[in-house]
Amino acid sequence: MISALKTILSYELKLAWRQGSTGGMAVAFFLVTVALFPLGVGPEAKTLASIGGGVIWVAALLAALLSLERLIHSDLEDGFLDQLALSPWPLELVIFAKALGHWLVTGLPLVLATPLLGVMMQMQAHSIEVMFYSMLVGTPALSFIGSLGSGLTAMVKKGGLLIALLILPLYIPTLIFGVSAIDAASFNGDPVPHLMILAALSIGAVALTPFASAAAIRLALE
Amino acid sequence: MHKYANPARFNRLANAILPWSFGVMAIAFAYGLYQALVASPPDYQQGETVRIMYIHVPSAWMSLAVYMVLASASFVSLVWRHPLADIAAKASAPVGATFTALALFTGSLWGKPMWGTYWEWDARMTSVLILLFLYFGYMALWRSIDDQQKAAKAAAILAIVGVINVPIIKFSVEWWNTIHQPASVMRMGGPTIDGSMLIPLFTMFIAFHAYFITLLLWRMKAELNERKIQIMKENEVLGQ
Amino acid sequence: MTTPAKKRKQQRLLLIIIALVLLSVVAALMMRAMEDGITFFISPTEIAENGKAVGERFRLGGLVEEGSVSSEENGLVILFNVTDTLNSTPVRYRDILPDLFREGQGVIAEGSLNADGVFIADKVLAKHDENYMPPEVMDILERAENYDENKDENN
Repeated sequence: MISALKTILSYELKLAWRQGSTGGMAVAFFLVTVALFPLGVGPEAKTLASIGGGVIWVAALLAALLSLERLIHSDLEDGFLDQLALSPWPLELVIFAKALGHWLVTGLPLVLATPLLGVMMQMQAHSIEVMFYSMLVGTPALSFIGSLGSGLTAMVKKGGLLIALLILPLYIPTLIFGVSAIDAASFNGDPVPHLMILAALSIGAVALTPFASAAAIRLALE
Repeated sequence: MHKYANPARFNRLANAILPWSFGVMAIAFAYGLYQALVASPPDYQQGETVRIMYIHVPSAWMSLAVYMVLASASFVSLVWRHPLADIAAKASAPVGATFTALALFTGSLWGKPMWGTYWEWDARMTSVLILLFLYFGYMALWRSIDDQQKAAKAAAILAIVGVINVPIIKFSVEWWNTIHQPASVMRMGGPTIDGSMLIPLFTMFIAFHAYFITLLLWRMKAELNERKIQIMKENEVLGQ
Repeated sequence: MTTPAKKRKQQRLLLIIIALVLLSVVAALMMRAMEDGITFFISPTEIAENGKAVGERFRLGGLVEEGSVSSEENGLVILFNVTDTLNSTPVRYRDILPDLFREGQGVIAEGSLNADGVFIADKVLAKHDENYMPPEVMDILERAENYDENKDENN
């Protein structure tokens, strides 16, 4: 089972590396979106610092969403999923590996970019630190819940808007606790309970979504 | 259970229930609305504004109850592949979305005089808003997949995942310190509403339930007829 | 020899077991987080214990202290104390109060402390309790309460 995981994961990473698009594009989108806010809201440091955590989290949700449409759809189109369905590996494992790959290629670069954006949004060092952890703990939920949206819309031709409608509501708890951890830090509160709930959301998503997503993809393969 | 998968049999059952549910709905609405808006006493603190409760609380309740119906029907359709369960789930979604929107709207009208704000992003209100979005997503997914059977299954998966949201709504008030009051009707130690207000509220609950049952049966019949017409049209095309 | 289908079934079973283990981790994390407590607002006691910097925005929550409400500048500015029965914080608010703002009722104020330790609120939200009853019943209840109190005093 580990070897299956390795095979699919390395395939995903190689594909992302050769295409060189998804991860890089998501990070670029992330940076540009956040950079729009000081221009739109005005460069006042106090305002920016107070909205910074929320803006960065929302931008991260959208950046993750952007790359989800192709996650399952392209593999369905070129018949790769049909082959995987015939392999001895359960489809759930395949989805897990793909979602993990999505996180490594898209989620992790976003996490690494957050401190830079925090500085741009004039946030305090402590808030930036907590934000980094909240993104690190919370973004896996985005990739795994996203794999479900991607699976559900795999048989829809233009699924981009539909994915947003299906997945963003399910992202909201992650957003709330991600931002509340940063808020707690900036109000000198204790961010740890918030981070624990965020971690619980991510682990829950890792545990459950591969099954739901695999069920959806089986429909598309029928 | 598969006995009722036959549309003709379902129609007979629906036709038998409909006059009753419609009658109960009409009587309960007439009595309940008169009691709620005219006859019941004003609240000791909220005054006349409390009358919004008679619409708000049943709609909020129904927004969740309909979602549970939708999710249970989805589960039945996924596990036992019962064809009517699909139709029941599909038919209840717009009704549930309407109840949810009504709960949010009346809640915001109630919130302004009571809390001093139309909208507050606290846990309860936020999660009801997410519920509305879930209904929207569910309906959109149905619409965007052409193959009815696949659409039914995909939508069912989404509905079951969305169930995780329902306990978050129900218990959010107890979990977090929010501005929304704790549950008054369904709670340990009996309701904290005085009898003179509980009776009209209870009547409105009955009216809302009867309304939902009536609408659900009507919508299911309409959906079945629509499918029948679709099949007849296809046959006609093939016949030519 | 195992067939691919059989192997896949075994592996899926293993995945389900892993998922269940992960879900128990989720439950444990949630319980820990609930124990530590997540708060929507800060109480006067928390201010007294931990202190708050001047100008730092936060939400103050508690009950409006009985007999503490007064006004300045012909009622344009409202002064009251928010209490959690152990400590209380003075609040200054310059706007229209919500209907449900009463002494002894729950309230949430948004703003920050000034140098004198007065909370300058720019938004006040009233929290209402879960009791719905007509005024007459409330009168009866209040009379009963007073009666009880009088009895206690007499004893």
